[in-house]
Amino acid sequence: MSGNECPREADILEAIAFGRWPDGCGDLSAHAASCEVCADLVEVAVALHDDRTALCREAQPPSSGMVWWRATIRARAEATRTATQPISVLQGIAGACVVGAAAGLVTIAWQSMHWMDRIGELAMRLESRRADIATASTFATGHGLPILVAVAAGLVLAPLALYITLADD
Amino acid sequence: MRDVAFSTLEQLGAAATDSEGAFQMDEEAFRLFYERTARPVWAYLSRMSGNARLADDLLQETYYRFLRANVAHESDAHRRNYLFRIATNIVRDHRRRPRMDQSRLADGHDAAEPIDPQSADAAAGAVRRLDLARSMARLKPRERDLLWLAYAQGSSHKEIAETLGLKTASVKLLLFRARQRLARFLREGVR
Repeated sequence: MSGNECPREADILEAIAFGRWPDGCGDLSAHAASCEVCADLVEVAVALHDDRTALCREAQPPSSGMVWWRATIRARAEATRTATQPISVLQGIAGACVVGAAAGLVTIAWQSMHWMDRIGELAMRLESRRADIATASTFATGHGLPILVAVAAGLVLAPLALYITLADD
Repeated sequence: MRDVAFSTLEQLGAAATDSEGAFQMDEEAFRLFYERTARPVWAYLSRMSGNARLADDLLQETYYRFLRANVAHESDAHRRNYLFRIATNIVRDHRRRPRMDQSRLADGHDAAEPIDPQSADAAAGAVRRLDLARSMARLKPRERDLLWLAYAQGSSHKEIAETLGLKTASVKLLLFRARQRLARFLREGVR
């Protein structure tokens, strides 16, 4: 027997656990009164054993059905969250792409404003060459019908050709 | 609005059925296991957290984690130990979390026990339990775990070591020291 144990501890614990303490444990009780290790053991084990018994008696845990139901609902919610995580990532990427495209459009619009300046310059040049344009207009007026037919045919045939090409694919 | 509510309930019901596959046991096996273990686990959680109301939430969390754990148990005793291990970890996590109601945890005596005031035995028992709760609150969390598992739950040193993540050889000495401290606090409380 060392300073922190006693060979009779197991007997005392058993008596307490099975509710035989202290009645019917005359010999053990006498030992516990004289053994410091066992005295501590009795003090603590009786208090904890009684406390557990009282707590178990008072406990009003929810029904197993309720615990099961809550657990299943939570499991499903977690599964849904796990499943939708990649979708959320993709949505984030898509959002970033939209922002990038918008930024690109703004840049293009900004550049097109410079182009408008150039168109203005072109109009100025055309103004200076009005005589040449008048000659060209006279030519167009003379051959107006064939040009109109050619443009109309182009407008009708181009989508048709595109449709036929895609339909074959 | 009512249709939406019914629809939601139906979805939840269907969800519950689908999710059963994610658990380590079926509902009937769980019911049997729960009925055997719920009260001792609740008592453990209540005393370790020092808060009876909190124990209800911790109990639900304990069984949820138990059901979700994909662990094969060789025996019922092993399954019970595993459950207490989860409960221990949950209480530890809770202790680490800063909370508004931490003072309640420190007090450690929110048992709210219904006592018949006319019964002298009940009153004396209540005083003893209050002393115990106060004394337990003065211990370190690991000491509380050790003492409860050993003397309230009746676990062996090996089971305690598994539950608390300690070496079996060190349980005996740690238990001895914790017991000495609690016995001293209890005697001080009585005086």
